[in-house]
Amino acid sequence: MTAKLKQFFVKTGISVKNFFLGIGNGFKTLPQRLKARWNAFVSFLKNADGNVVASCLLMGLGQLFYGQWAKGLIFLAVQAVFVLFFVFIGAKGLVGLFTLGTVESNAWYGVEGDNSVIMLLLGILSVIALILYAVVYVANVKDAYKTQCAYDSLKTPPTFRKELSSLLDRNFYKVALALPILGVCVFCVLPIVFMILIAFTNYGGTTVPPKLVDWVGLENFGKILTLSDFAPTFFKIFGWNILWAVLSTFINYFAGLGLALLLNRKCVKGKVFWRLFPILAYAVPGFITLLGFKFMFSYGGPINYYITQAGGSAIGFLDIDAKWSSRLIGLAVNAWLCIPSSMLLATGILSNVNGDLYEAARVDGAGPWKQFTKITLPYVLFATMPVLISQFIANFNNFGIFYFLRGGLYIDGYFLASDTDLLINWLYNMSIDNNYYSIGAAISIVIFVVTSVISLAVYVMSPSYKQEDTYQ
Amino acid sequence: MKKTIPAIAVHIAAIIVLICCIGLLGGNGNTEGREKFTGELERNVTLRILENDTAIKQGYMSELLTAFNAKYADYGIVAVDANMDQYTDLANDGPYGYGPDVLYQANDALMKYVDNRHIMPLPVERLDCYSTTGDKSWQAYTREADGESYVFGVPVNIQGPLLYYRKDLLPDNWQTEWDDDGDGVCDIVQYWTDMYRFSKQLKASDEVTSDGAKRYGYMRSFLEPYFSVGYLYSYGGYTFGSNNTDARDIGHSKGEAEKGGWVVRQLASVMDERCIDDSVTVTAYSALATGEYFATVTTPDVYTLFVTEMKLRGYSDEYIAENLVTANMPMLPVSGDLEDESQGFVPSKMMGGIQGYAISSYTKSPNAALAFVDFATSYEMISRRNELLGIVPARNDVANTVGGLSQIINLNLSEGNIVVMPSISEVAQIWTPLQTFFQDLAKDPFRPSAEFKYDTKEKIKQKLVDVDGQIYSAIFTLA
Repeated sequence: MTAKLKQFFVKTGISVKNFFLGIGNGFKTLPQRLKARWNAFVSFLKNADGNVVASCLLMGLGQLFYGQWAKGLIFLAVQAVFVLFFVFIGAKGLVGLFTLGTVESNAWYGVEGDNSVIMLLLGILSVIALILYAVVYVANVKDAYKTQCAYDSLKTPPTFRKELSSLLDRNFYKVALALPILGVCVFCVLPIVFMILIAFTNYGGTTVPPKLVDWVGLENFGKILTLSDFAPTFFKIFGWNILWAVLSTFINYFAGLGLALLLNRKCVKGKVFWRLFPILAYAVPGFITLLGFKFMFSYGGPINYYITQAGGSAIGFLDIDAKWSSRLIGLAVNAWLCIPSSMLLATGILSNVNGDLYEAARVDGAGPWKQFTKITLPYVLFATMPVLISQFIANFNNFGIFYFLRGGLYIDGYFLASDTDLLINWLYNMSIDNNYYSIGAAISIVIFVVTSVISLAVYVMSPSYKQEDTYQ
Repeated sequence: MKKTIPAIAVHIAAIIVLICCIGLLGGNGNTEGREKFTGELERNVTLRILENDTAIKQGYMSELLTAFNAKYADYGIVAVDANMDQYTDLANDGPYGYGPDVLYQANDALMKYVDNRHIMPLPVERLDCYSTTGDKSWQAYTREADGESYVFGVPVNIQGPLLYYRKDLLPDNWQTEWDDDGDGVCDIVQYWTDMYRFSKQLKASDEVTSDGAKRYGYMRSFLEPYFSVGYLYSYGGYTFGSNNTDARDIGHSKGEAEKGGWVVRQLASVMDERCIDDSVTVTAYSALATGEYFATVTTPDVYTLFVTEMKLRGYSDEYIAENLVTANMPMLPVSGDLEDESQGFVPSKMMGGIQGYAISSYTKSPNAALAFVDFATSYEMISRRNELLGIVPARNDVANTVGGLSQIINLNLSEGNIVVMPSISEVAQIWTPLQTFFQDLAKDPFRPSAEFKYDTKEKIKQKLVDVDGQIYSAIFTLA
């Protein structure tokens, strides 16, 4: 057992090493690529003519001098939009990103002060806008220089119409990706960066707008690790969180696969009918199911009713003393909620397995277990590893289970948490119930790092990564 | 190269200068303060009023709005239902212009908005109800700010727990066996010692209801600190020092609060395990109607729910009015032991709350909003509110006219037997530690005797000290 464990860790280590080596190889060619780019840049600086210089000064000016009216006006308009954005929003946003406000508002007397949180958001938005501006500026200069090069080599530069039509043809990817990239910047990058930056402020507790928030550096991370009340709770919850995520993912995945295999067998009659039951459980909203289970296991619920009717004493399945029974009930309820989706996934994948493989295995004398471990499992694992990782992360961050089953308890030895709380529940207790947003954000970053490292490690050692071509 | 680099540099410099000039020199809008309650009513404005759901459902809200709008029609002031959740968070909505102008909530909910100035200090001395509302009620809405004392809300309704019991389920011989003081009222509903003895007898007996359910005496979930913390208050405990305003002085373990804890443990022992979680709360209405429970404690506003359940079981209105009784909380023994009444009795103190009106700091029409609050807290409107919703008025004149429970609860408040929930934001941190403690304590009688955690008052005292420490940590560790 120990040897196997050792082998497992060695294999994981090698896989992770190979993954990073792959990335490292990509960096090997980086100097050459950078050198080529530098040479091109120097050549541009040496050879750029007056029209290109005009474009460097004011976007679109060079294009106008070249007689490319439409393109020149578009660049000029973009320049004007950016200037207007910075005049009305961006400039204040960028400065506010550093100060987070200087005047506290006082609603009693109608004093309009600064809202630090809004300033932080606008600051990030302005940085994104500034990056976009830089990209457009470079594109403008490149375009002017390209036109110059075309004239220098006695070629006619493409007309505006031709360039437009290329956007629907050769350069269609640019058109297709423009809006999604903008959407990702605003709806994805902005909130993530906002959350990360919050971890470096004192936002929370009594310091919430209209009070002014300030930057505090790494103080929140220091609190997590050093506060005598805080650090032990963090490590206790973290340990249980890892155990929970591994166990629940394992149970849900293999129980789903087992159910799919069972219902896939030819001897099972009325497969559609039997598949309906797990799907019904899946279809009921999760929190309704959780509240139902909470009632079932409560002192006034049906389970205790039958226990007391049978002459027994009521059992506190989820009460203050019930650390492990609550944890086991949590695992079981989570399995009830998640197994149907795993079963559906596995059913779909199993329908694509080549039956000849099993036929050949049977001819070679392989039994059902051998067929499962050598054909079914590798195939299903290969196809579902990314899903499995996402299930692990979802379970790691499974907020609802213990919030609904056993919320509202602070257990001795835990700071603002109970012995069934996961990090995400603790995060909720602190950031929503107790307003400690910045500490919550710092814990979020820790959760992100942990789940990323584990997911990455699992992925690089999975067949999906190592044997990418096996089933293609 | 000679021209390209300077051109790029000029462009970048222009952008930097633009950002710096506008960013650093840009103004902060209006930084000049002004007094809002000038006394001059704003004209042609709409006020968004947030009322509680019961007031809306029972039709009181529409009556109030109609009457107010008729009175102020000449000014063009129209009050409308804000049409928001009754627990809407002004801190999130108000600054962005979405919150109500006037809001009706409990004192703890309203006063948490004071910290960040989301509700306004009010010139309450200008209001009709100012002199007729008791000091304790005003106290719930008073806070020091900038070195001065301000009032931020106008009290309307006093909330305090009451004992609900079924008179028809009293023992047949109560006049001879359960009326030691000879006042013609059964001791079971006057003294916790007798309630405990009666409940113990019922638990030990085989008495069942017509549905076959086992009968119990007093039943109440201890999970909710709102209903449980009063036992600690009765023996000298308190939540925050300096009249619930000093969060650094947490006192659930102070005085002889452990006696209150011991009472809770004893009361739990004559119930069953359902008092540990919220099972009793969920079933109280129907269980009192079926006779499974003899008595419970809850707030006055749910009286109609008990009536509905009894009607469902075929009881007539007259029978319900006669036998579903609400009474003041029973007295507690000085000894803190429900089996020892030799040292006499002390009144039960319970946590209560005061619901009232506040005005959002973000209202565009503060004077019209104040006129609305004045109108809604007038003698006529509060009387009507009492009539329709059965509230306990904070106005003494209305309470005295109505009499009965309204008068009793007002008296309880003035005598300090209703301890108003703290009106500081730190109160949010007391609920979960207290809930955990009461759950743990209520579970204790049901543990095997070798595993008892609180079998002496000293152990309860020690745990209460820990709970106070836990609350202190929750408030200050990360602050």
